Formats: sequence, structure tokens, C-alpha cells
Amino acid sequence: MEHPKHTQHGPGEKKDSGDGGSVLNGHFDGLVKRPAGAGTVRAAAPQPPGAESGSHRAAASSVMESWREERTRSLEDNEMSLPSIAAAYTTILRGLGEDPQRQGLLKTPWRAATAMQFFTKGYQEKIIDVLNDAIFDEDHDEMVIVKDIDMFSMCEHHLVPIFGRVHIGYLPNKRVLGLSKLARIVEIYSRRLQVQERLTKQIAVAITEALQPTGVGVVIEATHMCMVMRGVQKMNSKTVTSTMLGVFREDPKTRDEFLRLIRS
Amino acid sequence: MNGHCNDTVEECHCNNGFSDLIIDTKKSAVHRKHETSRKEAEDKSRLPAIEAAYTSILRELGEDTDRQGLLRTPLRAAKAMQFLTKGYHETVDDILNNAIFDEDHDEMVIVKDIDMFSLCEHHLVPFFGKVRVCVICYCHVSMCAITLCLSVQERLTKQIAMGILEALQPKGVAVVIEAAHMCMVMRGVQKMNSRTVTSTMLGVYLEDPKTREEFLTLSQHA
Repeated sequence: MEHPKHTQHGPGEKKDSGDGGSVLNGHFDGLVKRPAGAGTVRAAAPQPPGAESGSHRAAASSVMESWREERTRSLEDNEMSLPSIAAAYTTILRGLGEDPQRQGLLKTPWRAATAMQFFTKGYQEKIIDVLNDAIFDEDHDEMVIVKDIDMFSMCEHHLVPIFGRVHIGYLPNKRVLGLSKLARIVEIYSRRLQVQERLTKQIAVAITEALQPTGVGVVIEATHMCMVMRGVQKMNSKTVTSTMLGVFREDPKTRDEFLRLIRS
Repeated sequence: MNGHCNDTVEECHCNNGFSDLIIDTKKSAVHRKHETSRKEAEDKSRLPAIEAAYTSILRELGEDTDRQGLLRTPLRAAKAMQFLTKGYHETVDDILNNAIFDEDHDEMVIVKDIDMFSLCEHHLVPFFGKVRVCVICYCHVSMCAITLCLSVQERLTKQIAMGILEALQPKGVAVVIEAAHMCMVMRGVQKMNSRTVTSTMLGVYLEDPKTREEFLTLSQHA
């Protein structure tokens, strides 16, 4: 499954989710020979912040940069931007017809601003910081699964919560990861403005790059408040996305075993 | 608007009498009946300001507002926010007026598992859950969707009860809301499975423990 590395602005919103993935899936050689241009591509981006998640550029390079990304936001940045975010929320409250001076709303702009920064704290963290110490050499070549990891994210289209569960499985190749680090990877990528497809792929690629395992499978089952609370208003709908890399993609039996184990 | 209930909350700290509480909230309900704090026609004209505010928020969070996924997000988020607070341009009167019928039925009528979505007024984060409503009266009313506005769960429960009380003058009203607050689940203490339950009992549900018990048993029965 070959796709051009440099994508034009194609039609539709699925650009970030579908296309670049097939360049990576199952083609581990492609990952190792990371294009040197990845660094310059980043420099050419209009703004460094947040460019990692879903740019127009080749999805391959942008996702692969996850391992080397610069921290886009610091705690000092948070403190400095808090007043402007709070002011923006005050404007929103007024625009909605509310009275920002009433008792229940007096400090709401500040609370909402802090909450929003918390919901996007994934931008403050780098995978490399979280994982480096917790990769161990183990002679284990059976599937390792961590399932039912609670996940909370923000829909980048409506700024409304997404929540659900992540199930991760991988087949180690002499290296295993500390189990809680899998949950930390989920946290870093989910606490951002996200699209579920991209989130799934980012988690899978991060594990692949960290461990070079024989295969990785990630399944996310989530409820999107933008579909439940507004729009079509379907209460019970769930969105399921998955990314299978390596042997999980090539061997149906392995994939089957993984899917069965996460269901039980 | 919601502000009226706030005044009554302060008042009831001074009066300990339960009946005073009912009277005070009744006062706010009368206000509420006839005015809306937001006109539907104004929504469109207010959109640009809210949109600009969201653009500024995205930038301050460190995001790139020119990337494809975020290009129209301020507009979508502004519209979503207006939808999630559309309760401000509805009145109880509008919703209930045409749907009250006389029936010779004086047993309990319970409507349960009404899905409810609201926005926490402290963090502007959703909370959602289920509402159980029980009424004893001589009439029938088609239960409506719960209005959406910035809320505190306690106040929301009381507002629903008062709305029904005024519209139907029943012998009793009971409202129970069980909800999950995203401000507690997604941030702060981060307790995944916690639920907040609030209830308001008025009339015969307040005075007669047996009636209250019957309601609670029937409504919890799966």
C-alpha cells in the first residue's frame, strides 16, 4: 500500500486520519530511515505550536516526529496566557446572554480557562520524557495487553469532550514497556484537541517507535459529546477506531486473539 | 434567568423554614415564566464575538489556528455553545402550555430515565445524567425535554420541580437527578465513577414519607 509521501490538500477531512497511516502500517523500514527533511519541514511550518498533531504536510513525517517533538507549551506559558483565555470566556458568557457578574459566574472565566488548559496539557509533555526510563529487556514474546484505559479528550471541531476506553496490545521483540507508561502515552496524546482516528494512530506509532515490537494494536471506543449533546443527538452511539501495525496487521490470527482478549 | 434563583439561594440561608424555601423559589419561577434572557433572533448577531473569543482561546492554548482541523472550529464551537445553552430562549410556559389535559387519574405518574445534558456554570464543562420525575395530579402532561442552560445540579432539580408545580398545581412533585460531572471526572479529583444525586420533593412527597418511599422504590426498579 504505497501512498505519496508529500500530500497535496486533498478533498475531505479524512486527510489526517486515513492517508498517511498506510505509509507506516507494516513498513517498519520506512520508520527507521526517517527522512532528514523532517526537521526542515517542521521549521517551515507557520507556527511551531501544535503542528505535530494533524498538519497538512505528509502525515507520515508529522506522526513520526512524535518521538522527537519539541515541547510546545510550558507552565510559564500557561500562566501568561491565563488572563487572555479568561477574558475570552467572559466574552463568551456575555455573548450567550448570561451575566458574568452574578455570584455563580464570578470566577467561572478563570476556572474554565484553567480547565481548558488542563484538558490540553498533552501539549506540555513529550513522549521521550515519559518513556525513557521504563523500557526493559525481557525475553518475552507473548502478547501484552493493557485494556480499559479511561481516556478523555477534546473534539477539535467543537471543543466538546470525548471520552472512552483505550485497549492496547503489543508483541514485544526483546523489549517491554512499563505498563503504566502505556497509560501515560494515552494521556499525553488524548489531552489535546484531537480527532479519534489520529489519536489511535499516534498511540500506536509512539509504542512502535519506542520498542520496535513485532506488532502493535490499539483500539479506542469512545463517546463523542458533540454527537450526543448536540447535532444528531444520538445518546448511545459509540465510535470505535483501531490501528494495527506489524504482525497485528499481517496475521489475522494474532489480530483475532487480540480482539478476543480485549472483549472478554 | 438563572440569576433569580441565585438570589433565593442566598435568602434561604437566612430562613431555615422549608416552606419559606418553596415560596422564595416560587417567586423566581414567576419571573422565569415570562422572560427569556436571550432571544433566538439575537443568536446570529452574537456569533462573531463568541467566535473571536474561541479563536483567541485556541491561540493561547498553543494551537495553530490555521491548521485544517481547526480552521472552522471557532464557529462550530460558538454554535455548539449556543445550542448547549438554548434553554435561555425558552420559557416553561412555551413548552407546557398546550400539553395539559384534564384526566381523572390521581395516582402517581413517573417518567424516568429522561436523558439530561447541561453545562456546569463553574467550569463550563458538561454534566449529564438521568432525571426521574413523579407527579400526582388530576391531569396529564406530556413530559418535555429538559431545557439546557448553565446550571448547578441542585438548582436545576429545583427549577424542574417548580416548573411542574406551577403548571399543574399537583398534589405533589418529586424530581431526582443522577448525573456525572465532567468537571469531576475529566479534571480536578478525576473520579471516574462518581455520580451526584440531587432531589426535590414538594407537596405530598415532602409531607408523607410513605408516598416518597413508593416513588423511590418504583423509580429505581429497573
